[in-house]
Amino acid sequence: MGGTYTDAVYIYDNRIQHTAKVPTRSENLVETLMDAFDRLKIPDEQAINQITVSTTLVTNAILQNRMTPVQLLLFSGNGMRVDALPWPVSYLELSGEMDFRGREIEPTELSEWRNVLTHNFSENPALVAIVGKFSHRNSLHEEQLASYLRGANPSLRIALGHAWGQANFHRRSLTTYLNLAVSDLYNKFTQQLQSAASDRKIRAPISILKADGGILPISKIRPIESIYSGPAASILAALTQNEPTASTIIVDIGGTTTDIGLVLSGIPLLSSKGAQIGPYSTLIRSLAVHSIPVGGDSAIHATEQGFILENYRLGPAFCLGGNIPTPTDAMRYLELIDYGNKRLAEEALASILPLERRTPEFLHELATAIIDLVADRIAGAVDSLKREWQEEPTYKVWEVLHPHEAHAFDTLVSGGGARGMINALEKRLKTSVRLGLYPEVSNALGAAMAKPTFDCTLHLDTYMKRYRVEETGEQGQWSGSLRPYREVEGFLDNLAQKQASFYDVKMGDVEKEPFDFFPIVQGYKTVGQIVRGAVHLRSGVIGRIRV
Amino acid sequence: MKRTGIIFFPAFDWSLGDSHPEREERLLYTQEQLFEEGILDLPQIKQYSPRVASIHDGLRSQALFPNPKSYTDTIDAHLIAAGSAILLGEARVRGDIANGFVLARPPGHHSGATVWGNRGFCTLNYEAILVNHLRARFGIKKIAIVDTDVHHGDGTQDIFYHDPNVLFISIHQDGRTIFPGSGFVNEKGGPNAWDQTLNIPLPPGTGDEGYHYVLENWVLPRLQAFAPDLIINSAGQDNHFTDPLGAMNLTANGYGRITELLQPDLAVLEGGYSIEGALPYVNLAILLALAGEDYHHVREPKKLDRPVLTLATLKPFLEELKKQQVNSKPDFTTQGKAFFPKGSWTYSPRSIYYDTEGFQETRHDYIRQCNHCAGTVYIESYSSQSPEKSILVRIPFEACPDCEQAGYDLWDHLQKHIEDTTNGLLQNQLRDKLTVWNRKEGLKEF
Repeated sequence: MGGTYTDAVYIYDNRIQHTAKVPTRSENLVETLMDAFDRLKIPDEQAINQITVSTTLVTNAILQNRMTPVQLLLFSGNGMRVDALPWPVSYLELSGEMDFRGREIEPTELSEWRNVLTHNFSENPALVAIVGKFSHRNSLHEEQLASYLRGANPSLRIALGHAWGQANFHRRSLTTYLNLAVSDLYNKFTQQLQSAASDRKIRAPISILKADGGILPISKIRPIESIYSGPAASILAALTQNEPTASTIIVDIGGTTTDIGLVLSGIPLLSSKGAQIGPYSTLIRSLAVHSIPVGGDSAIHATEQGFILENYRLGPAFCLGGNIPTPTDAMRYLELIDYGNKRLAEEALASILPLERRTPEFLHELATAIIDLVADRIAGAVDSLKREWQEEPTYKVWEVLHPHEAHAFDTLVSGGGARGMINALEKRLKTSVRLGLYPEVSNALGAAMAKPTFDCTLHLDTYMKRYRVEETGEQGQWSGSLRPYREVEGFLDNLAQKQASFYDVKMGDVEKEPFDFFPIVQGYKTVGQIVRGAVHLRSGVIGRIRV
Repeated sequence: MKRTGIIFFPAFDWSLGDSHPEREERLLYTQEQLFEEGILDLPQIKQYSPRVASIHDGLRSQALFPNPKSYTDTIDAHLIAAGSAILLGEARVRGDIANGFVLARPPGHHSGATVWGNRGFCTLNYEAILVNHLRARFGIKKIAIVDTDVHHGDGTQDIFYHDPNVLFISIHQDGRTIFPGSGFVNEKGGPNAWDQTLNIPLPPGTGDEGYHYVLENWVLPRLQAFAPDLIINSAGQDNHFTDPLGAMNLTANGYGRITELLQPDLAVLEGGYSIEGALPYVNLAILLALAGEDYHHVREPKKLDRPVLTLATLKPFLEELKKQQVNSKPDFTTQGKAFFPKGSWTYSPRSIYYDTEGFQETRHDYIRQCNHCAGTVYIESYSSQSPEKSILVRIPFEACPDCEQAGYDLWDHLQKHIEDTTNGLLQNQLRDKLTVWNRKEGLKEF
């Protein structure tokens, strides 16, 4: 689902059977989806095995600020000033502090809580997010306040920060806030979608595509995890056309924006930081996709030195009935593409040149320069994405001594302007460039072929006798040994298995990170260990598309 | 915007021993604190990825005895810390950042001009390697190093003792009460660099107020008079009142203020072994201060509950100390060897204890007195663990023709005539050429 159009594909036996494209009606997304679905003309709807949806619902709700207000309560403690980082929402700070081991430094203050109640909860039911610094190490204060508030007002809907168990108080707070603020909207959407499906007697499970390129069942996914599934889908679409272990630069050229991603030995590159959406920094894992404001419809203005390629679009290309020269006109003039009116393309290019230079020679030179400039911008973004990957911080000697190997990349380019850019990109990126298939439905294709993903990251402190799971926020008592070895492997496997069955996912090809063991020493004696380990089910596709 | 670079390299897979203070756990809680605060999300902070320094970078400042090869298995973590310092230093000199924090382990400031192994947890001296790299590659002329670790920065002092273009200031707990037992006011530099070393030994119990007083009234004026191109802070954190090795009374906030007063171009983590009570908070305060953010809300959980020396007690002591420092006059022994090139040579013997492995280094240092440059340095060194005698010949940065020639003459003589010596390093800083000699294997360039 995109802002303008919604695509659908029906795939059987790894072959595309039908595709459909309908305009997106933002006021009724479920009807849009079902409209696209119906146009696929699937012979036996009840025999469908799987339906996957990639939706812009949550992304747009956040960007357009169509969210339910949430009261944000923080146990912010000492340290960096809370307002050193930007807060797009208001919050209230309360007493109570934990440290990095989850030890209570300062208890909570009941008298402050009474004031919260009297002043802030007139709405019914009100939404409340409670987040503590280091609550991912100990959720006690969050739980205490939640139970107090629930006692006072049972209709409150309360979200706790430790459910997002990665470090970063600021991001955890905003992630908790957003997830709660879009939950009504999202739940309404899923209910409508499920009832529309059951009206058609469809029994197939419905999954939602996430920002990390994985899918999860519609009833299990947390709403905020569905942001940025569009760029993820276009990376996955490329994977369906790749050798399983290839390393590929993926370039998706749209009208005004070009998305660039990297696939390394068959696995899409994840962003090292959580996703940024509008003014909100989050903890949401997303694929590393760089978007740059250049595309087939970017406006071109004449200047005294020549021309400038603008960051925006002013309608369609001149050769397609628009009013302004664009890279598409340059492609048409050079006959790199076959749509659009060539005479109009020539007219568009000529308007950039002074009268005396409007000759075929100069027009050709200008058209080439425009396309080379687009290729330059794209190559610049590719370089910066590669640099981000190669310069990811490392924290171990082994990692510094064994840097990322240089991969032999090829390039897959898709989207409206793709065909016209092949030669220029080959020259500039110095890789072979292939044209992606099904550019008009690539998002739907990527979503349909996506695999489930999940991560299970364990943080175990055997001295404090507590463990935590980053992704689920689970916190519990550790009753095992002070210096576990094999024991901790089994423990993590069980946690991961539990998570897999919750999500209805087969464990399959999980990737296990080697454990890190940190001996805890007090007065020259080892008294316990902090153990960190993780299991990942990485994003990918269920198969290759057969043409 | 004032940009602050950081390299965070906690070496999570490296230790000097399971329960050694310099172990995997040391920066674990600092990572927890920095990541939870989200300080790396501040727009003015730019995180860099660590880099490995070359042996060449090391040898430019330090002789690795008996030979660089013998360090192959133990030096990786040290080379990464050194490389990280160089990387941020280059970013600073290029103007990519306004200042930076090399938050890496292990530390380096006890490692001196000659190295036989690990000493005070240090094998390579990052500040020295950084400073000499910037001089060799970027032509930086004048650099000041301010060492605020609780221990005397004896390694750094040793490396720059004869160098008039590097001002070395160390503020530390009095050497009569703590390792390494040096750093007194009469250590003021060699004959060609007199008064370019300043040691300020403070009594145990000194707290924030006293420390800041020393900075404002002694250190900052001295820095201002020197007018360096760059200021490097050896930012040890063991002055903190919870440190198990030191006996000083500084707080995390106090460290923030130190950073604010010194305005270093680069801060480099040195010691600090209160890994839970101090490091997460001190590192946070230093980084906030470098980034121009408010550090006053950083508070360690434990309260300072032991007596702190008052400024009233400290002031008369400091006045006396300063007087002693000013009144210390050069007292060098003029003595050379028969084969030394022409000129006047001063001689000083030294003995250095390597606490990590428990052995002794004996040194005979000779310096060519010179009015034009830092002077040729000739050091004979033996380790109590090894029968191999080793020699360092240094031709300094901006060496005058006479001192350069003296260096070559000594180097030639070493190979042809000194029977009892097996290893040598020609540290030609002037030409950035580093040649290692071994009696059996001959010459090798690094």
